[in-house]
Amino acid sequence: MPGDLTLAMSELDLPSPPDLGRMRRDRSARLRSLMADKGIDALVLLDNSNVTYATGATWPLSDAGRGNVERPVAVVLVDDEVPHLFTPFLADAADELGLDDEHLHGPTYLDVDEGVETFAKALGQLVPVGATVAIDEVTGAMHQARDILFAEWPPRPASEITSPARVVKTPDELACLRHALWITEQAMVEVQAHLEPGARQVDLTAMFLHRAFELGAEANALDPIWQVMPAHQADLPWTTHGDLACPLLSSERILVRGDVLWVDAGITYRGFHSDFGRTWVVGEDPSARQQAQYRRWRDVMDAVLAVTRAGAASSDLTAAAMAVCDGDRPWMSHFYLGHGLGLNSAEAPYVGTDLGDEYDRRLLLGEGTVLVLEPVLWDEGHSGYRSENVFVVTEGGAVNLTDYPYDPYGD
Amino acid sequence: MATEPAPDPAPLRAARRQRAFAAMEAHDLDVLVLGRVANMRYVSGVPLLWNAGSRPFGPGCIAVRATREVYLLSTWDEGVPEEIPHDHLYGITWNPMNQVAMLQGIAAQVGPARVGTDAMSPLFARLLPLAFPDADLVDATPALREARRIKTAEEVAAIRAAIGVADSALAVAVAELRPGLSERELTGVFMDAMASRGVTTPSNQDVVRITTAGSARPGTDRRIQDGDLVAFDAGVVADGYAGEVGRTWPVGTGAQEAGVAELARRWDQLWARLLEACQPGAPAAGLFEAYRAAGEPVPAVPVGRGLGLGFDDPVIAAGLPATAARERLDPGVVLVVTGCVTDERVGSMVAHEPVLITRDGPELLSLSPFWNPAPVGATT
Repeated sequence: MPGDLTLAMSELDLPSPPDLGRMRRDRSARLRSLMADKGIDALVLLDNSNVTYATGATWPLSDAGRGNVERPVAVVLVDDEVPHLFTPFLADAADELGLDDEHLHGPTYLDVDEGVETFAKALGQLVPVGATVAIDEVTGAMHQARDILFAEWPPRPASEITSPARVVKTPDELACLRHALWITEQAMVEVQAHLEPGARQVDLTAMFLHRAFELGAEANALDPIWQVMPAHQADLPWTTHGDLACPLLSSERILVRGDVLWVDAGITYRGFHSDFGRTWVVGEDPSARQQAQYRRWRDVMDAVLAVTRAGAASSDLTAAAMAVCDGDRPWMSHFYLGHGLGLNSAEAPYVGTDLGDEYDRRLLLGEGTVLVLEPVLWDEGHSGYRSENVFVVTEGGAVNLTDYPYDPYGD
Repeated sequence: MATEPAPDPAPLRAARRQRAFAAMEAHDLDVLVLGRVANMRYVSGVPLLWNAGSRPFGPGCIAVRATREVYLLSTWDEGVPEEIPHDHLYGITWNPMNQVAMLQGIAAQVGPARVGTDAMSPLFARLLPLAFPDADLVDATPALREARRIKTAEEVAAIRAAIGVADSALAVAVAELRPGLSERELTGVFMDAMASRGVTTPSNQDVVRITTAGSARPGTDRRIQDGDLVAFDAGVVADGYAGEVGRTWPVGTGAQEAGVAELARRWDQLWARLLEACQPGAPAAGLFEAYRAAGEPVPAVPVGRGLGLGFDDPVIAAGLPATAARERLDPGVVLVVTGCVTDERVGSMVAHEPVLITRDGPELLSLSPFWNPAPVGATT
């Protein structure tokens, strides 16, 4: 492992283990302070990650479909430091969060008309008439029953509160995230050690999931990507924008010697999503040309890091990346140069999206923001290189949380 | 799973799309704006990248009744069937006004009066009226649920295949069940077996739970001990369809304990009544009656959940009594029935059984064995 990464980590002085009670209290204080500032009396949260943020509840995330039936819901009141949680995982919540009977409620079914009626009554008990309510998501049944649920339509968006609260991480949150990354990296060590011609993409997934759960992953966050990148872009599927088609789904495709693999995977721990991205070559060492792609990718990363610090504008980062590439944008145009990471696999801030340069000029990075930088170096006719590293933005720069080598690239 | 992602088979796509457009007709919906993964798959037939957990609402798939055209949020055409041409694909964007512009293009062609969505958000409640200024924006979920509630023959085959993977991965995990393993290690065994069978996406990740009295939350480092009861909730998503099955097994000497054998006896009695309640045309509330008749309390979690592409009817839960009283178990409904019995001193025995309601009665779709307390050679 590169020594500089470990050294940098010690600068952060993260609590070990994280203090989960303190983490919950800090989040509650942040949410309610923002609510007071913006004149919001109650937050109703359905999105899994927002519920986790507001209550501290975590659970092994399910498929979106089943998740709509077994969905915890949070209600945060501006004048109550303890959130209300409606959950099917009652025993877990009581055990883990220490919520009293007043704040812990049974499951609610917001996709069903009757469930919405019942919830509206419960909400009426918690939120005074005329209160200003913000919400993140509205199910179809809630949309249908909007007159009984909401004093005004459309309701205020909860993102006014949750986005600024979530974008800056506390040391306890960073410690949880770091552990999620550690689990992922340890599992990947094993996968990479077994990478050889003849393996199917799904075999790599099997090995990754097995090891990640053994190491304490709460859930898999993303169907892992092991995309074989051809030499020529024309051998990838057609795209709407003419850029690379990536990420493509994994299958039972058998890997052969020399395949260039773009790897992307993530798990959750305490609700935190990890993000892992590396380029591997199957069964052989990278060629001189491939090594040169990697070095240029490192140049882009170094240039971006040189300007990354609290107070920097996103456009400073994109400009630094483009300067290395003669003005070309070294990232996929349907994505970004970088994205935030926390209770979602990709969350604010987004750096270098199609929101445009003006947006990036106005987007200033805050201290404690987590940024995943993922430049892409495409070398038409010779495939390309893509990796991801996770950083915490600090006053003086950025600290690397990723602790995984670039093998087989590099020295 | 093949060696390359492909659209759902043509007969499956055609049958589903016909139902979707018929439901739009019946509910007088000119345009559907869909954000739920299951609905997008139902209408488009395109496999989508799987993420765990909830997704924010946004226009992921558009269906237009007048032209029978489908538009899809996909930056590339891999897995996209021929009936969705390139100019019906729109790419990932971070600027929601781009999506508004795309929707305006569709609105200009058809001039919709009623636009249905399968969810909503404060943001799109503000933006969709910009795209459809002359239309009523309504909840489309009654139409979609009506379309999806009864499974086509092709859908039942897909669910059977998914259950087959769940059964076989569950068998691997049960074979590994032994004292000393943690819940997460055993979950890892299940996930490995699932992925090795070509299916990399679970429907549920709360797979292994020690249900012995006094047990902690799942997924902790808690290790399985001799005598424990261990519940498996094995769910996979194969080609979009959920296959789920759950079983509880005693570990080691647990099988000889009188309390465990008594729990199993109670479970058998409950299960016989639950199965009896799964008759074609029977009220869904019959599952509650089965619990009462067996003298078992109805659990807080659903006792019946539809199986399909994700969030399927019926949802039969103690918290939804009026819904269950109205709901009928019609032929073609596929659901997971949950039987759960608890003894506070011993623990819980829980099983999830996928059931297809047919004209002739319930058909059990899982081949997973149940733990049987009867000694070898005894008649049951």
